[in-house]
Parts: sequence; structure tokens; C-alpha cells
Amino acid sequence: MRLLTERVAETASTLWTDEDTVEIRISAERVVEVLRTLRDDEDLDFWMLADAAAVDYGPTEHFEVVYHLYSDRHPAWLRVRAKVDRADPRIPTITPLWEGAMFHEREMYDMMGIVFEGNPDLRRIYMSPDYRSFPQRRDFLLPDDAADSPAAGINPLERPETWDLTRFAALGPLNPLAAAGALPEADAVVADPAGEQPEPSTVEAGVTDADKSRPR
Amino acid sequence: MTATEPREGRVRDPIDLDAAEEARLRTAAGMIPAPIASPGGEYFGFDTVSIPDRPPQTERERELYTLGEGEMLVNMGPQHPSTHGVMRLVLKVRSEVVTDLDVVLGYLHRGIEKLSENATYTTVLTYVDPMDYMSAMHNEHAPALAFEKLYGIEAPPRAQYIRALVVELNRVFSHGLMMGFLALDIGALTPILYGFINRDEVVEMLAAISGQRMLFNFFRVGGVNWDVNDEFLSRLGAWHAKELRNVKDNEALLTGNEIFRARTRKMGVISRQQAINLGVTGPNLRASGVPFDVRSAHPYPPYHELEFTPIVQEHGDVYDRYLQRIAEIKQSMHLIEQIMDKMPHGPVQAQVPGIIRPKPGRAYAAIESPRGLYSVYAISDGGPTPYRFRMRDPSFVSLQVMPVLMPGHLIADTMAIMASLDPIMGGVDK
Repeated sequence: MRLLTERVAETASTLWTDEDTVEIRISAERVVEVLRTLRDDEDLDFWMLADAAAVDYGPTEHFEVVYHLYSDRHPAWLRVRAKVDRADPRIPTITPLWEGAMFHEREMYDMMGIVFEGNPDLRRIYMSPDYRSFPQRRDFLLPDDAADSPAAGINPLERPETWDLTRFAALGPLNPLAAAGALPEADAVVADPAGEQPEPSTVEAGVTDADKSRPR
Repeated sequence: MTATEPREGRVRDPIDLDAAEEARLRTAAGMIPAPIASPGGEYFGFDTVSIPDRPPQTERERELYTLGEGEMLVNMGPQHPSTHGVMRLVLKVRSEVVTDLDVVLGYLHRGIEKLSENATYTTVLTYVDPMDYMSAMHNEHAPALAFEKLYGIEAPPRAQYIRALVVELNRVFSHGLMMGFLALDIGALTPILYGFINRDEVVEMLAAISGQRMLFNFFRVGGVNWDVNDEFLSRLGAWHAKELRNVKDNEALLTGNEIFRARTRKMGVISRQQAINLGVTGPNLRASGVPFDVRSAHPYPPYHELEFTPIVQEHGDVYDRYLQRIAEIKQSMHLIEQIMDKMPHGPVQAQVPGIIRPKPGRAYAAIESPRGLYSVYAISDGGPTPYRFRMRDPSFVSLQVMPVLMPGHLIADTMAIMASLDPIMGGVDK
């Protein structure tokens, strides 16, 4: 504990949370430097990255990236909390320190939209590559409660009437919508010279009355 | 009807189109106009479809999907019998040797972390059950510990011992199945049948104590749902008297088997340093020689009262990871005997209200699941639901070794190496 305060003293407040976790808070820019010290210092020797996770404190607050480290020499888990600006969520990558942080960082990018600068493979990991939203942010609403919220329908993916079905038509016979007869023939869509949207009647085939009455 | 004509009543497949029409269709769909041409020549028409159907997003992806001389991409999954759930591997191969590999996840993603932010603390324990469905008891253990830490209570001693008993039983059948799956992926059918006989006996036993066979929903914040009952104890006694007969049968079939050894030894070697660097935990880490086990490194009750030393292997190859599982099954049996000897009397559930509202705060709890370090980070804002609920699944992190291990191995060895890591996709995709 004393050692920890000495070695990463200039960072920020250090505090006990409970008997088996020590917590320190640092700024986002110093993440690599501090974690390198924690890992390589012979007296500290936090050799294992147990977890890396992101927390969203709401639209008016900030993100936080939280690392949990383990060392054989200390009885407690070490929690390192780094604050990330929500308007411009950027933080340096720690993949040079632990390659295993790659999937954690890809997940945080996918779910929260935090950009890890220097990460060579920052792709979405769970959602499809053309997904445009970050589902684990606090202001991303589940479909169940989207209709009741003041922010309903802000995300285009929650509004079926804005879907560009030509994208789906190109998937060919595997497309379940085509199999169900919900789509116009692909030829009709593609041959349209102006590239206009398909007929509204076909587009709204799957939209229920409840969806239409949702406030936008 | 020739192959190039569109089939009756179906949307035309892009493969059937000529180049100009395909370019127009692809442009309309927001893709790049033409597939990335393969310099390696024709492979039965496969070079007319590129994977993925869009420009690369990162340097690593560009490198992965750019084919060199004589290379081609082989897609394995998502519905492949050997991928242990729904996952996709894109293998870059030259003749039959894998040169690079991409792991594509997300086919089972249910957003359990997000759902848990809208569920009370007690119902979260039911959401995590289907995550890593081979070790549902472990899935409930870590959240229960984290929520108890948040709420400032501790389970009664008897509940802690019952918890340790059921998770060790769960570990035995999970490791037993891994032996079977490894053999199945190499091409031997029998071991998986023995593995499932063993699993059924344990699962029936756990059904007797919890009421369910697979997704037990047995843990509660502050204890467990039921005390041990007569049926559970009689099944446990009958199973214990057989002294792991099915596991030993498997061991006799596999451990000295010449074909099995030829397929697994010196295969997929993870060095000590690689394992630490890539975040590998659990039996896979210990098979590489690192004696890290959460049960001894950072013991949670009641493991500080049990006699226990982590087992390690030397080489870190597929065969060592298999041996590690057998050793841990026997170790778990030893732990079960200790638990039955030491189990105290008393209540199995602490007094907690129906809806728990912990004080604002944060808690981290980690346990040793059959696949490694499984941890939960929970934040409370004082309300009835967790503000943030984060799970670290060990097989999710362990899968990162695949692109590191595979180059140089044959396509058929992908199965063996993957099975030796024992990933469960329900846990990987959450």
C-alpha cells in the first residue's frame, strides 16, 4: 500500500475500498505509463490483467475505463480507474502491455464507443460491422421502453420506416424477409433508375400500429 | 435450368449476375463495386465472393483478408459441429497449412450485461445462468459474491460449503465433457458418451438439490435456495462410490493412446510468457506452468479452510491441457470429500429483503470457473437494479490465443487446439 503510493504517487487519490480491493484513480493520458510501472516494478509486480471494463455515468457525465490487476505479492485486487471524456471518448491502448487486452478493448469500443488510440484492430466484436450505435451506453434504450422515453426513435435502427431495404435485397435468397414475401423483387428495386426508396406500403408491412403511435 | 439462371420465384443471387449488374447491385447495397480479386487464381469459383463483403476497417483486417500467392480463405462456422456453439473462424490457408486466422464472434450475443441493468439483483442471478452453460453454478457464484459485498452481508457458513460443493461437482462434469469433446474433435466417438454418462449422473444430483437440470438458479444473494436433501445425498453417495468410473474409462482410452498422443503432443504450445501476455487463465494457464488459481491466490470462502494446492503441467501443449483437466477432476473429488467432512450445521440463507437496495458503491468478485478467472464488477447507485454489471468471461479472453497459435498448423488441428482451450460460446458472447 505504501509502496503503491510511492511508485505512482503523482497520479491521484489512492484509497481503500474494502478489505480485498485497493483503488487508484488516474487520468486517461497516463494509463500506459502507470500500468507499465505497476506491471514492471519488481516490488509491485502486477503481472496479470484480470479485467478491463468501461462504465458509462450518463449523458451529462463521463465514461470510465476500469482495470483490475492482480499481483502475487499483495493480498488485494488493484482497481485502476481512468476517467474518459464523453464528448470525445479517447484513451491510449494498453495492448502493447498485455496483448490480451485486445478483446476487452474491442468490446468496450463496440458497446460504449470508446476509441483506444493505437489499437491495431479496433473493430466491432459482438455487433455486426455496419451497426451504427453503441448499445451499452446509458442513453441507448431497450426496445421495450423506447416508446415511453423522450428520446424514442433517435437511433435510426429503432425506426423500421427508415430502413433501406435495398441493402437487404442484395443479400439474395438467404434473406428471411424475401422468403416471407415482405420484399419487392430485387430486380424491381435495382432497376429503378432514380434509386428511390421502395413503396411505403411494402416497407411498413412489418410495422404495427403501436410502432406508428410512438412519439418521435 | 442452368446454374446461371435465377431460380423460380427467388431473389436473384449476386453470384448468378454478370459483372456490370453485380457492380450495380453491390453499389446500391453500399458495398465496394467489385469483390477483392484473389491473386492466387481460381478456387472453384470461390474468388467471386470475398469475405468480408466490405472494405477493411483496420490494418489488421486488411492484412488478414489480403491473400498472398497460393492462399485462400476457408470459412469455418458459424454452424460447424466443432465450434462449440455458434462462432465463426476464418482461416487463411496455403494448401492445408493455416497461415492466419480471424475469430468472428457475436452470434450468441444476448446483451446480458445490458439486460442486467434493468433487472433486480435477485433476477440478475437468473440471467447469468445460460451464459457459460457448462458451468451454470460458477456463473451464479461470482455475482452472488459481488452483490453480497455490495450489500455488506455474508452467506452463512453452511451455505458457503454447499456452494463450494455444487461448484466442484459442476467442475467435475465440465472437465469430464472437455475430455470427451477433445476426443470427438480429433475423431474418437466413445469418450464423449462416457463424458455424458458422467455428466448426467452429476446433473441429476444437482437437479435434486436445485430443481433444474441445466440452468440451476440455485444461488441467492446471501445464501443458497435449498439445503441438501436426502435424494441429493443418496445420489452423491452412489456417484462417489463409483470413483469416477467413466472418467477413468476415458483416461484408459485416451492417455496412452498412440493416435491421440500423436495428434495432441507438441501441438498448440502456449508458452508461459504468451499465456500471461494474452490473458489466458484457468486450466489452460496452469497447463503452461503458471500456478495461478483464484481459489488459492485470492481465496473466497470456504476455500481458505480447505487444503488445496494448484496443479501445474510443464509444456503447455494440447496433451498437457488434457492431463490438467484429469488432474483437476481428481483434485475436485478431494475437495468434495473435504467439504463433506467439514460442512457445518446452520441456516443456508441470510436474512435479506425481497428487493435489495445496496448503498451506492462498487464491488469486484472473482472465482475460479472451469475455464478460468470469472469475475464480476458491479456498481450500485442505491436503486433496486445494478447501475453497471460487468462480467469477465474466461473463454472470451482465452480465444485470443487462436490467431497466435494456429499459423503453421494443419486445418484439421484447428479442432484439436480449439477443443483443448475449452471455450463455451454462451459465455464468450454473453
